[in-house]
Amino acid sequence: MRLRFWPAKTRERRATVLAGLILVQALCALFFIGDVIEDFRLLGDPDNPHLLLEALAALALIGGVIFLMIELRGLLARMSDMETGLEIARGHLAEVIARFFDDWSLTAAERDVALMILKGLDNDTIAQVRKTAPGTVRAQTTSIYAKSNTDGRAQFISLIVEELLAGNGLPEAAPDLTERAQAPARRLPERTG
Amino acid sequence: MQAALQRTRGRAGAREVAVWDPLVRLIHWSLALAILLNATLVEDESMAHEWIGYAALGLVGLRLVWALVGPRHARFSSFPPSPVRAIGHLRAILAGDRSVHLSHNPLGALMVYNLWASVIAIGVTGHMMTTPAWFGVEWVEEAHEAIFAWLIFSVALHVAGVALESWRSGVNLARAMLNGRKTIPEGRDLP
Repeated sequence: MRLRFWPAKTRERRATVLAGLILVQALCALFFIGDVIEDFRLLGDPDNPHLLLEALAALALIGGVIFLMIELRGLLARMSDMETGLEIARGHLAEVIARFFDDWSLTAAERDVALMILKGLDNDTIAQVRKTAPGTVRAQTTSIYAKSNTDGRAQFISLIVEELLAGNGLPEAAPDLTERAQAPARRLPERTG
Repeated sequence: MQAALQRTRGRAGAREVAVWDPLVRLIHWSLALAILLNATLVEDESMAHEWIGYAALGLVGLRLVWALVGPRHARFSSFPPSPVRAIGHLRAILAGDRSVHLSHNPLGALMVYNLWASVIAIGVTGHMMTTPAWFGVEWVEEAHEAIFAWLIFSVALHVAGVALESWRSGVNLARAMLNGRKTIPEGRDLP
């Protein structure tokens, strides 16, 4: 990953801008407080309108800083929640894929190839990455489709996507999937945990 | 399966964790800039020197407030000043332990408090030098300079510590302070 100083995501950018505002505004507040204290020492008159106005400005700035801090904290909490959610989803997806592969008893090589199919690589690229002949990859994909009881790449990928969309992990929700759920080769192992 | 997943993901099993929020990073680098400016470029008895000093005080003050109300890794509770834990951490380093700390590690935490306290002490003695009551008082000026020397020594130690810890734990800490994320190598413990 490249080192990015200006974040690409909208939320991260917002957080950076908020942090910058807090910093500048806090320093401004500090300046005004110092100014008010200094003026009060020199003038010594708390009823002076100039002093009152400055004190008000300082208070408003402090209030603004506190408000922005709460905002930034909320934004950061939302960002962290989203990241946790994504992390969990990623973990679940890996688990789901592993369970499919286990269920179809794919060999180690077939698992590699199947994963690359899911990642959108075509046969020639897979052959290049795995340093094997295109014929080997073709044989492996044929075996994968046979074991998973699918008729090709698109249907194979849709199996995994269906699992994600089904929500509860059981593909019975849609009528055209019931048949598939009943086919022993495709049935998912029971969810544990 | 897991191996295959990791192989296609690029860096094997490494994961990124958002640690330093933008406010922490901005304060860090602003404070570093303030110290650098006042130590080198800016004339000692100029107005700019005073203003930068007050700004540094404000930065530390803001960071202390953020350590009370900010997100988890920025809070005091993530890096309590504990010599006992620091000694434990030192022992773990010597024993070859390579676990990763998400916030400051216990030794780093002590350094953080040391740096903040030094900046505050320099700011306070610096302000005293501008007031009629303390102007020209010798011990104040001496304290200002002595603590400044201590601060520069601490900064050098801080940079060395960051380099050592980055090398030891495999997490690029300087980068984490720039983009906010620590890249945790695969299979590393998080105490």
